[in-house]
Amino acid sequence: MKHQSLRVFFLAFLVCTSVLLQGCGEDVPVVKVDFSKRESVKVPVPEPAITYAYLPQYSHEVSYARHNPLIQYLTKETGLPMRQVFPDTFAEHVRMVQSGEIDISFSNPVVYVQLAQMGSTAFARIKEPDGRPTFRGQIIVHAQNKAIQTLKDVIGKRWMAVDPHSAGGYLYALGYFLDHGIHAHDFSEIAFAPGPGGKQEKAALAVYAGKCDVASVREGALDTVKDKINLQDIRVLAVTPEYPGWVYSARRGMDKEIVSKIAEAMFKLSMDNPTEAAILTNARTSGIIPATDSDYDAVRTLIQKVEADKITSTFPSIPLLPAQRVTHAK
Amino acid sequence: MLNRLSRMRFRTKLNAGMSIIIISLSLMLAVVVTQIAANSLVHETKRRGQVLADNIALRTTSSMLSGDLLQMKEMVDELRTVDKDVAYAFLINSNSQILAHTFTNGFPIDLKHANVITDDAKPSIKLVDTGSDKFYDFAVPVTAGGLVIGQARLGLSRSQVQSVVNGLIFTISIVTGITLIISLAISTQFAHKITYRLGMLGQYAESIVRGELKLNQTSGLNRNCWEIYKCDQEDCPAYGNTEQRCWQFGETLCTNYCSNKSARDLNNCEECPVFAKNSGDEIHELAETFDVMSLSLRGHIAELEEAKNDLTQQQEILRTIFESSPDQLSLIDKNGTYISVNQAFASFVKKPKEKIVGKKEYEIQSLLNTANTLQETQQIISTSKPVNREVRIVLEDGSRKWFNVLKVPVHDEHKESIGVLGTARDITNVKDYQNQLIHSQKLESIGKLAGGVAHEINTPLGIILGYSQLLQEDFPEDEQVHKDLVIVEKQAKFCRKIVADLLNFSRQTKSEKKEMCFNNSIMEVVQLVRHAFKLDNVKIIPHLDDRLPIIYGNPEQLKQVWMNLMSNAIEAIGHNGVINIRTELDINKGTISAWFTDSGSGIATNDIDSIFDPFFSTKPVGKGTGLGLSVSFGIIKDHGGRIFAISPAPKQLLEDGATRTENWGPGTTFKVVLPLDEIGYE
Repeated sequence: MKHQSLRVFFLAFLVCTSVLLQGCGEDVPVVKVDFSKRESVKVPVPEPAITYAYLPQYSHEVSYARHNPLIQYLTKETGLPMRQVFPDTFAEHVRMVQSGEIDISFSNPVVYVQLAQMGSTAFARIKEPDGRPTFRGQIIVHAQNKAIQTLKDVIGKRWMAVDPHSAGGYLYALGYFLDHGIHAHDFSEIAFAPGPGGKQEKAALAVYAGKCDVASVREGALDTVKDKINLQDIRVLAVTPEYPGWVYSARRGMDKEIVSKIAEAMFKLSMDNPTEAAILTNARTSGIIPATDSDYDAVRTLIQKVEADKITSTFPSIPLLPAQRVTHAK
Repeated sequence: MLNRLSRMRFRTKLNAGMSIIIISLSLMLAVVVTQIAANSLVHETKRRGQVLADNIALRTTSSMLSGDLLQMKEMVDELRTVDKDVAYAFLINSNSQILAHTFTNGFPIDLKHANVITDDAKPSIKLVDTGSDKFYDFAVPVTAGGLVIGQARLGLSRSQVQSVVNGLIFTISIVTGITLIISLAISTQFAHKITYRLGMLGQYAESIVRGELKLNQTSGLNRNCWEIYKCDQEDCPAYGNTEQRCWQFGETLCTNYCSNKSARDLNNCEECPVFAKNSGDEIHELAETFDVMSLSLRGHIAELEEAKNDLTQQQEILRTIFESSPDQLSLIDKNGTYISVNQAFASFVKKPKEKIVGKKEYEIQSLLNTANTLQETQQIISTSKPVNREVRIVLEDGSRKWFNVLKVPVHDEHKESIGVLGTARDITNVKDYQNQLIHSQKLESIGKLAGGVAHEINTPLGIILGYSQLLQEDFPEDEQVHKDLVIVEKQAKFCRKIVADLLNFSRQTKSEKKEMCFNNSIMEVVQLVRHAFKLDNVKIIPHLDDRLPIIYGNPEQLKQVWMNLMSNAIEAIGHNGVINIRTELDINKGTISAWFTDSGSGIATNDIDSIFDPFFSTKPVGKGTGLGLSVSFGIIKDHGGRIFAISPAPKQLLEDGATRTENWGPGTTFKVVLPLDEIGYE
């Protein structure tokens, strides 16, 4: 009797297993679609709007993520249709501003100096997350690098900078070296971080990995790599003087009323309002304050100083070729 | 169906069973494996499609943000070159506008809304059925900064997946088929191997059934235990036995046999080198068991044969005793039914044995059975006490028989009565001898008494006779005194005759024997009495055998016997009758016989056994002494013969040459038989 039950159980198990396995088949909902009904697809034409561009030092996704809430806020606040556009490079950004494809440009001071030459006008600038309206560059080395103890020790070493048009990541450091009698040709090599985005991180990682001896990054950029490397292994060798922060500029011929309306909306943003604070934090700023073109004379001075140092360095004019590298052979 | 299945050969059933199991398992495994593999393949296809869709969604984020339609177009077209399973791919922005697609002849209108991403922006998969083909449609949101900016759609051809699945099923089927063929071949060989050995065992069992017990199904011992252990204990039952394993004995003298020698457990032998070298698998053990069984059967059969022979011999002896016994033997069961009878019993009841066995006791008519025979049988069975009694019966011819009837209970092995064994022994002769012995003792006692008395009386009687004769001379014959003296003399002579008879009876007189003629002695007496008998109209008819030889005997005494017999006859007849006298020589038995048959009143049944007793008389007082037949008995006995009476007389003797008279009675025959060797036959 007992064996009979076991046999029945075994057969039932096999049958159930087979049935269950059969049941593991199609579990996707079925939708009937008539493929014979077709249409030709028209290229979507964007609605007319005020275009907003973020200097592409980061990827488009990061740019979108950081500034889309701000644009939505401005759209809602001003009642003006606004749309973010994504130039792939600094040069394209400058070209689009010049051609009028970008109405509102958010760029670093160096690029702004060039845009200003094309007729753009600064109307607002941001405050750093710590509240300062200025920012600096940092010269970093590996903590274990005994050969570089002072600034002079960087002579003959390899230097990784962010971009030829980077303010905190190159120009500020270059001006700082010049101030301390170190010229570009004193380095065995000056390399720029490759690729269109993530250049700040790449420069810091190059020092960490020993790919270069010294690197220059924007102040605060080390926080972006704290999850990737041990910051204890990075030593800040020097900090550059402060310069005005990133700037909003309107293209040449932009309706001043519209610019004013947008500026007012920007200035209204406050960290005291949680919703607005979220927008500002997302955009990596603690507030937007008014700006004038003269605020960036210090940058113009620095550029002139660099350009004046004809011996060792040149400051390339925009547009530049991507991943431009300046190499000085001994 | 079950009967047909049970009639199938075991090899067929084993083959069929193993084949069914293998085929079932193979098919089941093939189905399950195919299903699992197909499901895994479909699942992997879905996962791959999901990955491709995720990938295109990630890669096109930047293009979608920057509105680079060409790049998006290149990306979706690239998918088709990367994987031929990709049937289509397209990108939709947040406004449900098609940004790029892979279709060449326009975009299917309904496809755009066939798979819509829900608000939670989770990827979605659906099966798009076009009627002619099916596609797995993957919809993945394109996000930037956590916001959905569009979606990527990817279609994987299900028919391509199905073709791969079909190929997989085909491969598994081929592998399963090959495995099945190999498994069936191996299982068939295995079944053949098993059933061949079982068949050998079956043939062995059949040979055992046929009585051929000398076969040895197992191969001989690889090594014998006494060789392995170098044992020299010749008293051990295993020593020198090459037909049985040592562990098949109840006990051996081997010290390595087991710790507990009374327990015959093969587990104790597992570490034994003898067991290791000679043991086999279960079928081998079964064959060995058959061998042992064969040996055991052979021994038992030999014992049974011997017992059977003994039993047959004993049965034959018993049957011979049973059948050859002159006694009537019968065996009755507890229900009173005859189980067995012997020939003597059958002859007595005048029925064949076959008609007696199986009948009830009361159904067989027997003179020995009485009204309470059945009750007696039941009493014997219930009480287990035997019954022993003597029965006298009268046969149809008038002769009497004495039987000693003994009935004893028959017990089974539990000492319970299961029947009755009855024996009836004819003890007529014993009874006769017993009566004759009693009679002889009586005669001897009376003879001594009578002899003593006669001897004492004889002398004064002689004096009385002598004086009476002397006194007669003193008186004239005509005087009363003389007449009285004559009466005294006559009565004295009568007394002297009585005394002489008494002396003869008591053998006081000397018997003088001489050559004589038997018939003449009879005829002398006949001549003497014929006239006197004729006066009473009694006729004497002699039929004498003239072949009688001269015998050696006492003629006076024999004549006295004849006289006594004829005197008794005339007294029994009274008037008007006959006396047949017949003599006969029986050469075979060596006897001469004389029959004296009268037509008288015969002898009463109760008296016939007593007529030869001294002083037994049916006559009134003063008419007879009762000594005649006793004296005759003694004379015949003195001649070595026998005398006995038969009443009523046999008809052929009574009416032989006679004419019936008015008082024709049953009659009496006295038969005298004398042996020739005793009376001087030459």
